Amino acid sequence: MALLEIRGARRVFTTPEGGKVAALDGVDLDVAQNEFVTLLGPSGCGKTTLLRAISGFEALDEGSVRLDGSDLSRLPPFRRPVNTVFQSYALFSHMNVARNVGYALEVRGEARPLRETKVADALEKVGLSGMGSRRPGQLSGGQRQRVALARALVAEPRLLLLDEPLSALDRNLRQQMQLELKALQARLGIAFVFVTHDQEEALTMSDRIVVMREGRIEQIGTPREIYRRPRNRFVADFIGETNILVLTVERIEGAIARARTAEGCVIDLPSAGRAAGERLTAVIRPEDFTLGQAGIAGVVSRAVYLGSDLILFVRPEGGGAEIRVTARDRAGAPEPGAPVHLSHDPVAAHVLEGA
Amino acid sequence: MTPRVAQMGLGAFAALFFLFIYAPLLLIVAYSFNSNPVNMMIWDHFTLEWYTGLFGLSERGPEIGDQNRALYLESTDQMLKALRTSLTVAAFTTTIATLVGTATAIALNRFRFRARPFYSGFLLLPMMMPDIVLGIGLLIFFVTIGMNLSMLTIVIGHCTFLISYVFIIVQARIAGIDPALEEASADLGASEWVTLRKVLLPQLAPGILGGALLAFVISMDDLVITYFISGTENTTLPVFIFGMIRRGVKPEINAIATLMILASVIVAGLGLWLRSRKAD
Ligand SMILES: Nc1ncnc2c1ncn2[C@@H]1O[C@H](COP(=O)(O)OP(=O)(O)O)[C@@H](O)[C@H]1O
Ligand SMILES: [Mg+2]
Repeated sequence: MALLEIRGARRVFTTPEGGKVAALDGVDLDVAQNEFVTLLGPSGCGKTTLLRAISGFEALDEGSVRLDGSDLSRLPPFRRPVNTVFQSYALFSHMNVARNVGYALEVRGEARPLRETKVADALEKVGLSGMGSRRPGQLSGGQRQRVALARALVAEPRLLLLDEPLSALDRNLRQQMQLELKALQARLGIAFVFVTHDQEEALTMSDRIVVMREGRIEQIGTPREIYRRPRNRFVADFIGETNILVLTVERIEGAIARARTAEGCVIDLPSAGRAAGERLTAVIRPEDFTLGQAGIAGVVSRAVYLGSDLILFVRPEGGGAEIRVTARDRAGAPEPGAPVHLSHDPVAAHVLEGA
Repeated sequence: MTPRVAQMGLGAFAALFFLFIYAPLLLIVAYSFNSNPVNMMIWDHFTLEWYTGLFGLSERGPEIGDQNRALYLESTDQMLKALRTSLTVAAFTTTIATLVGTATAIALNRFRFRARPFYSGFLLLPMMMPDIVLGIGLLIFFVTIGMNLSMLTIVIGHCTFLISYVFIIVQARIAGIDPALEEASADLGASEWVTLRKVLLPQLAPGILGGALLAFVISMDDLVITYFISGTENTTLPVFIFGMIRRGVKPEINAIATLMILASVIVAGLGLWLRSRKAD
């Protein structure tokens, strides 16, 4: 049985203008013991609302939230065995770090010596040993983040909810915290539900990613599934750079189906499930194209420098949308204006569901 | 103008400005040490007699004959009684206004009901109202319901507008508190009551204290409204001083005024210090 089961969750808000917004529009989700699940989607798609439905700060109009098989809907937030790391950290500025971290224990009425041991433990876990007597105002953003984490962990939740906890940190610190969070989660053996709108963050940390749009779940899968086998255009577009191609299948040749864009670019697909004359949408990632002597002929129109790699925008000779291609940045890399040929492994082309 | 000249001009302006504001206060302080009992604006010599007299430490008083002397002592008694009344009224008013104002601010922040904007608006009205209107209104009200003017009516009258002051200050502070703080507290297992005690009230403390200080100072200082509702038995210090101007000002007034200035400076300093300690 899953640790957390959400069934048919619906929540409709009335906007100040009097309109209706379905922040959650029929969401089903299971989270297993010890799993790192990320809710990913653009701003306003309902991620926070879903998290708040789990923590109890938002009531559902329909549907249920179960933890370990028991219904949570009647429990107020302070009785739910779930803790949250808030986006703003929400540290208590009138208490020092140790008292912040020990707050859950203080409220429960645990004895002071036990409390102090647990607080010291938690501070050590997040790398803040000896900072207990500081005030939150005297800490850096990254340190506050860790205090918020320690404070939630001290309560020993079965499930930790994190609402965009890293979004206020600068890039280096964010990447470091991503790895630390993932390691911490694996070590503690509790489930994390992590919210982000940053696809890179989701890909790095998650066991499974839940892609949301407008209150609905578009796809649930491992990072690799989401990246390699997006179900539809929205997921393909939202996760990483990609080329979306509208194709018509011309003929099947053994394992390969040969398809063409309206402008005549030839794209090969795996033939399983394909039929001649079929119209479909396929995606090919920029790194799956190879620059060579054969394939789609075109001209480099722009090159975007990314460090070790370049993204080349190639305008096909026959016309149509530009194709994005990743190339190593080294001597002899094509400059804008250079003629190139693009080829790809048919297996790298992924056909989306629906047209 | 060279910057140097401009700077000197600015310095001179600032000096004059502060002189303008503080000259009257400095005069009072100076006269409170003047021993001339008849005309306090003519300097005689330095004395602490008006201060010691206030606290019953000196019996001597001015050389004005036995008959006048009895009158003099009686009016000193009245003045001290007025001071006691003022302090008592201010203490009760401050306590009530702080409790009610704070509770109202918290409640209005917590519950979003339809009439909420009107409620906030009406709470501000007594503050905007001219004192004279409020004073007459209160007097008519107390007469209508047949309530004798007493210390109680002064306290009630002061509370009507001081609750608004406390409410405004506490509300401003609440508006600045991240709502996630209360959610974090609940998330960590605290009931609403525990959250109020351990998170909300400590976060509001500077605002509550600031409101209380302001209420105390205004209550001590109010003349117009109190004048209408104090009756003859229970005058407050401002009303007493105002009445005395017609009968001739006692030199002890200067001593009392100086002590009040000192108290105000302490209170204002305390307020500033609390403000500077706002949530870091
Ligand atoms: N309390 C609320 N009142 C009205 N609308 C809300 C409220 N909370 C969220 N919404 C709306 O619900 C939608 C989803 O919001 P949210 O869950 O915060 O999105 P996300 O966290 O994915 O950015 C948004 O359109 C938002 O405007
Ligand atoms: Mg959000």
